[in-house]
Amino acid sequence: MARDSSTFVVISPWGKRLLAAFFVIFLVVLYLPTVLLIIFSFNNGTVAAFPLEGLTTKYYGLAFQSEEIRKALSASFWVGLGAAFFATLIALMASYPLARRNVRGKALISALMLVPLVVPTVVLGVALLILFQRGPGQIGLGLMRIMLAHIVIAIPFAVLILLPRIASIDRRLEEAAYDLGASGLQTFRFVMLPLIVPSIVSAFLISFVFSIDEVVIASFLSSEQVTYPVYLYSGLKFPEKTQTLIPVATIMIVISFALAFGAEAIRRYGDRRLVGK
Amino acid sequence: MATIAETPTPPAPKRRRSRRETRNDGGSAVSTYGLLAPMLIVLGILFLAPLYYIFLFSVGLKRFSPTDALASLNGELNAFSTELWTKLISVDVTVLIPGLNFDVPVLVVGIVFVVLLITAVTAGRIPEYGSWIVGVAFVLLLAPFLTFPAGNNLLRLVEFSSEGQYMRLFFKSVSMAMTSSVVAVLIAIPVAYFLAFCVGKSKYTWLLIVIAPFLTSYLLRVFAWKVILGDQGLINSGLTTIGLIDEPLTFLIYSQFTVIIVLTYAWVPFICLPIFLSFETIDRRLLEAAMDLGATRMQAFRKISLPIIAPGIVAAFLFVFIPSIGEYITPTLVGGTQGTMYGQSLANQFVGGAFNWQFGSVMSLFLLGIVLLLTFTTSRFLRAGGGGL
Repeated sequence: MARDSSTFVVISPWGKRLLAAFFVIFLVVLYLPTVLLIIFSFNNGTVAAFPLEGLTTKYYGLAFQSEEIRKALSASFWVGLGAAFFATLIALMASYPLARRNVRGKALISALMLVPLVVPTVVLGVALLILFQRGPGQIGLGLMRIMLAHIVIAIPFAVLILLPRIASIDRRLEEAAYDLGASGLQTFRFVMLPLIVPSIVSAFLISFVFSIDEVVIASFLSSEQVTYPVYLYSGLKFPEKTQTLIPVATIMIVISFALAFGAEAIRRYGDRRLVGK
Repeated sequence: MATIAETPTPPAPKRRRSRRETRNDGGSAVSTYGLLAPMLIVLGILFLAPLYYIFLFSVGLKRFSPTDALASLNGELNAFSTELWTKLISVDVTVLIPGLNFDVPVLVVGIVFVVLLITAVTAGRIPEYGSWIVGVAFVLLLAPFLTFPAGNNLLRLVEFSSEGQYMRLFFKSVSMAMTSSVVAVLIAIPVAYFLAFCVGKSKYTWLLIVIAPFLTSYLLRVFAWKVILGDQGLINSGLTTIGLIDEPLTFLIYSQFTVIIVLTYAWVPFICLPIFLSFETIDRRLLEAAMDLGATRMQAFRKISLPIIAPGIVAAFLFVFIPSIGEYITPTLVGGTQGTMYGQSLANQFVGGAFNWQFGSVMSLFLLGIVLLLTFTTSRFLRAGGGGL
């Protein structure tokens, strides 16, 4: 009853119905493209257009026979895994002193760390292209370089997940550990780590999802072997190639939904556990 | 339960301060900076160094290749000259003089852009005045969108003949980015309002459902819009089937309209979060008190809710606007020739037909400068709205 009356304060019953209708339409439009992709992945035509020409799963078969697609997928997977691993590790190392210690120039470091989020990816892409092509050593392009670039952009995401969590942990838990004679490393291993594992997993998954979806920088830095988004991007420009691309795309969408919900579920589990303390 | 857990906390800050001074948490300065070092090294090598190289290229201190045939052909790849900057930022005067070649949206957006920048800087000092300017600016921003059907002719940006083509392209990108961010904010506000006030306990689950598409492949969502808006797409084939049109509506795909639609669609889920969070901070008792004192719901919203959520809304706007200015993928896939943006032209200097790394670097520095200026002048809002990110 109390809830009803307070809802009444912010909105009239008719307004609420109107908003609910708006919300439903919003959700339909939001998910319409995804649903369409799934439908078209079973379309028995050569182009992704209406009307549908019957249902088939043959494109799924074709997609997985394609050497190109398999190579691109595995390239993306390893790049994503590497980028997520290093970004999470580096972010974890950096978050701890930023949350807990007196760091000189903390504001500057935080600003530097977050700026990659606002720098247009096309600018960062060409800047890295210039560096790798014409910088010291002229190390050239390739998958390893894409991974390095993804680490830079994934770090801020990982820090934004890890830092608030570390800062929210009661300092006295660590102090108790020190008082009982634990070393810094032991304290981290036995006190801090168990509390932040969910955030670490969440940061890892978000970095991974970011990397396997990133196309701008990857397209600038890829050489012979491309990552999956770059493969997809070059394929999408040609309508006749698209039908074979959609099945894998559909699977990727389902996987990223699963990862997104998984990361969030784990983060919430961590929240609950922390509040439970 | 929560109160019991929180009760022993108050004395903590005092102890915290003394601990910090004595640095008695088992960490030395060496370990502090040792832990930060990997991140600083990575950012130094892979973020600052590339930007430094862009700078070197832009002033001609580094070159693609000393014997680059293309470069010597157009004679622009030599030492530093102001020529490239002039080429980039020169403005076609006919754009500015009404009657000669009056280009309303570009002009309006240019003015609004400057006003917004000034407002962002001064908003802290003159809140009342500033909020009105932002309001008026938002209305003006919709002008290019509202004139859209006629806009194909209004924005004569495809004719890249005259001087000032790059600035036109830049302001066109700004205009498109602004339109899509304003529309995205206007859509996200009711959604966030509904989630914050009308859904009850399950609101976080619904919020996740709203945000989840943002985390799926951007490329695929753009592609799916091609399926919806294309000549044989959902809308065109639907309208043809029911007999409303004979020919497919061509403006639906490969136009500015498409780019704006897709950008809006792509960012709406993301900005629902900051707006939702700012609605969450409103104490409902304030609204109840206002209504007890005789305010209408609209008045309560205007006088209480709006000032509280304003920073969140500005932040949401910026979250869309800043990345959209330099957008590259979306216009390439659905923009066609009419929907080209600055980012494409920039990329074209490096990997496309134009192939002029020095000029491309100048273009990059310009875009970077604008984006950083925007970010730092508005960091107050970004921090306010980014609290939950």
